[in-house]
Amino acid sequence: MAGKSIYEEMKENGFTRRGFIKFCSAVAGAIGLNLGSPTAAKSESGKVVRGLHPANLVSRALSSKPRLPVIWLEFQDCCGCSEALTRSQSPTLVDLVLSQITVEYHETLSAAAGFQAEDAKTAAMKKYAGQYVLVVEGSIPPKDGGVYCTIGGKSSLSLLKEAAAGAAAIIATGNCAAFGGIPKAKPNPTGAVGVMDVIRDKPVVNIPGCPAIPEAFTGTVAHFLVFGSLPELDHLHRPKLFYGNTIHDRCLRRPFYEAGKYAASFDDEGARAGWCLNKLGCKGPITYNACASLKWGGGLSFPIQSGHPCLGCSEPNFWDGGGFYQGQSAPLDRPALLTMGAALAAGAVIGAGVAGANTVQKKSARRKQESKNKGG
Amino acid sequence: MEKQIVLNTFLKETGGHIAAQLEACTRCGMCAEACHFYQATGNPEFSPVWKIELLKRAYEQRFTLAGKIRLAVGLAKPISEEEISHFSKIVYEACTMCNKCSMVCPMGIQLGPLIHEVRQGLSNAGVVPAELLAAVNQQVEEGSPLGVTDAVYKSRLEWVADEWEVALPQDVKGADTLVVFSSIELMKFPENIAAIAKILHAAGEKWTLSSQAREVVNFGFYEGNPERTIMFLKRIFDGAGDLGVRKIVVTECGHAYDALRWTSYNLMAVPQGIEITHIVGLVGDYVRTGRITLKKGAHNDGRITFHDACKIQRRGGHIKEPREILNVLAPDSFAEMSPSREQAICCGGGGGVIAIKDADSNRYAAFELKVDQLRRVGAKTVVMSCSNCRLQFTDCVQHFNLDIKVAGLCQMVADALEK
Amino acid sequence: MFWTDILAFARGPFFRVALWVFVGGMAYRLVRIIFLGWPADKVPRRGSKLWGALKSFLKGILVWPFIPWVKNTFNCNPVVYLAGGLFHLGLFVILILGTAHMLVWKSLLGFGWKTLPFPIVDWMAAITIAAIVILFINRLIHPVLKLISGPGEWLNLLFVFLPMVSGYVMAHHLWFRYEVIFSIHMIAVNILMIWIPFSRISHFMFYFFSKAIHGADFGKRAVEP
Repeated sequence: MAGKSIYEEMKENGFTRRGFIKFCSAVAGAIGLNLGSPTAAKSESGKVVRGLHPANLVSRALSSKPRLPVIWLEFQDCCGCSEALTRSQSPTLVDLVLSQITVEYHETLSAAAGFQAEDAKTAAMKKYAGQYVLVVEGSIPPKDGGVYCTIGGKSSLSLLKEAAAGAAAIIATGNCAAFGGIPKAKPNPTGAVGVMDVIRDKPVVNIPGCPAIPEAFTGTVAHFLVFGSLPELDHLHRPKLFYGNTIHDRCLRRPFYEAGKYAASFDDEGARAGWCLNKLGCKGPITYNACASLKWGGGLSFPIQSGHPCLGCSEPNFWDGGGFYQGQSAPLDRPALLTMGAALAAGAVIGAGVAGANTVQKKSARRKQESKNKGG
Repeated sequence: MEKQIVLNTFLKETGGHIAAQLEACTRCGMCAEACHFYQATGNPEFSPVWKIELLKRAYEQRFTLAGKIRLAVGLAKPISEEEISHFSKIVYEACTMCNKCSMVCPMGIQLGPLIHEVRQGLSNAGVVPAELLAAVNQQVEEGSPLGVTDAVYKSRLEWVADEWEVALPQDVKGADTLVVFSSIELMKFPENIAAIAKILHAAGEKWTLSSQAREVVNFGFYEGNPERTIMFLKRIFDGAGDLGVRKIVVTECGHAYDALRWTSYNLMAVPQGIEITHIVGLVGDYVRTGRITLKKGAHNDGRITFHDACKIQRRGGHIKEPREILNVLAPDSFAEMSPSREQAICCGGGGGVIAIKDADSNRYAAFELKVDQLRRVGAKTVVMSCSNCRLQFTDCVQHFNLDIKVAGLCQMVADALEK
Repeated sequence: MFWTDILAFARGPFFRVALWVFVGGMAYRLVRIIFLGWPADKVPRRGSKLWGALKSFLKGILVWPFIPWVKNTFNCNPVVYLAGGLFHLGLFVILILGTAHMLVWKSLLGFGWKTLPFPIVDWMAAITIAAIVILFINRLIHPVLKLISGPGEWLNLLFVFLPMVSGYVMAHHLWFRYEVIFSIHMIAVNILMIWIPFSRISHFMFYFFSKAIHGADFGKRAVEP
């Protein structure tokens, strides 16, 4: 690994010391570091740093550590997560990505193409074995020998396994890489799965979303860089830092939900007044993501703020989670009239059968009664 | 083998209407709050819902899949011989079939008729209190449960005609109306017979008594036995047919009215073109149409109240007539008990209960509710249109040492007739 | 096993199966009754059977729950009377006029309607839960109810109680993650739907039979039902 630290690299790129410290503060903010009380005996969160200013901590790390090598694989994806990342309106974070990490291989962004690019990847994997971070975008289709997604004649599954072998950590960005995403939606013709489903021997962080929030991605990377470890994860391997709350918990329309004021259509009075979109199918209450707090476009807005219900894109199987515009409380699918009719008919037939048997019982009881009356 | 007979009766009788009502029961226990026997004694076994337990079990265990399975694996309790005798005491000694329970049932289940089905099962199996059965047998043999044989009937009527100086036309062919008295009236309240005769004469009714149809009381109906119910009904219809009347008037007997007016049609072939009515309905019509005129305020001394009989008012529908009459007779002193009309509390002696000695404690206990009602309204006189109620009232007024006069409605009307 | 999978199962296949069992079971109960034979009533009437039945329904729906003192039983057991009435009122308000439930109907029927504001539905829910607790206690101590209550009656209370409480906790975002309590609520609802055809909760269907029989029986006698 090259001896140059990140700070040195940044200095070469024209950063002043002052600019560097400002940058460190921004990074500390992005990964949610806060100044813990020096008297606090025990902190609840590992990210509370006692006695040391967060910016200091970050600057120490960045001054001492070299840039982080990253290999970025794309499988069944739309490149939306990469797009979102590069078009991030937050220049600080773009800077962070560009200065903190070296993207050794990225199918969309690499200048190199074809065998050259593949060679570069193989070289990087060898050079940074056990140190690089593997980022995966898109789902993996192992079905039918993986023929549905191949690069350079190799199936996505084998490419992933190959790259994962030497990775220090894997970041699955976007719902496709995390949970299978849209390719996994019914009927899932390619047998698509997420990274977690095929790689079990490496730490995997999921940054789901469609696309993933760029700040959530870069924040996770920064955390890895500063602390040398992955942030605390929830049961779906998502950083709690960004996926600890539901959209509903932080939603700016929450007061309208509590008051029971709902927009009933996209163009009614309620919609114009900015009321809750629950009736229009908002999945906010079961969706864990940072949209409502970090927002998009550099903190400008997020879907609900713009008047569209949350689709739940950071949750597994969100594409099959009922209609996007169907209330969240509704059953996932409307039972077919035919099956309902069949159930009804089955019940009626059994009922008629039992009633018939009962009528026979009644008749025999009457006969017995009559014969008894005659006899007695 | 009683349980088999009981079960067969239940199976035979359980049609859609009974099944639907049994299914509708939510086991809320509200009916208990309406039952005077439960209210008076606090015995949970007297709650109406418990009285139909056997019927419910028979239905569940024989007619439903779940019940059959539960019976097969031993989760359901089949009807046993001991239970049959146990329930016999409950449904005969602690139920007057007054059907007040159906008024409070949130599901509107007709508990009275359902309990009647239970009685039917028990009576088919012969598990009926001995005294009641003895009375039934007496009616089968002598034509009356109170021992009114043909000879007694004749002499008794002669005596009434003599004592009250009233004509009692007998076996008049071509009369319009056949009046059938109960033996309770004949033996215990003969003044009632005279009173009714006076009213009918005053109204110019072409009426008659029949020596064949001479007993309106139907102990087979108390017992719940369809064969004997039909036997007793047939005596009346045969008598009416022989005389060619167009109308049968039931006098002051509630259960008999229920049997004749509301049950007979579904039990047997009833002769066509004969109207069946109750004397209260008839007198009410007379007053309304002016066929008789009553002295206004004839009974305006002391608080007077009316006791609604279960079978004549709640289940007979003659609720308005007594009020109309009493508002003429006692416009100032008449007051309603609370509750009254179709919600009225039963006397506690109907449904054959008064005929069973073992039921006396229940009967007196239930009457305490009535005593309380009478006290609250401050009644000096209580009027009723059912001689079975009147029997119970007369007995209980003595038992509780009450200073209350018990009167029959027809008697009051007769006393107030304008000449 | 993630809660989101359980939720998807509870809202998807499990709900569908529960709905089948419910529909099929109720059809079985209904047909079994209808085909058991209904004896004709040949008694000449004094009043109208139809009008009696109609009045019986109107009274049951309009008068009884709202003007309790017209019934004498109210004096005997007012708490249970009110609890029973409020329980049913609350149940219908919540199931029909609660927004979340309306959306279920909408997805099944294809059309929706206006709903009540959340605070009103919320208070109704609280009252309904209180009512079922009172009814439970009553069943526990009332001598008649002790006598007539079998396992089925206790299970009825339990299976109705669970969806109510889980729904209330869910609506208030208490204690559980939303998808967890949502799953519990849906599972409880599904269990209830499967249970209904096998229990006396199905009285809502037979109510129309028994109340009509009652009304007709009183109507033909010209007595107020």
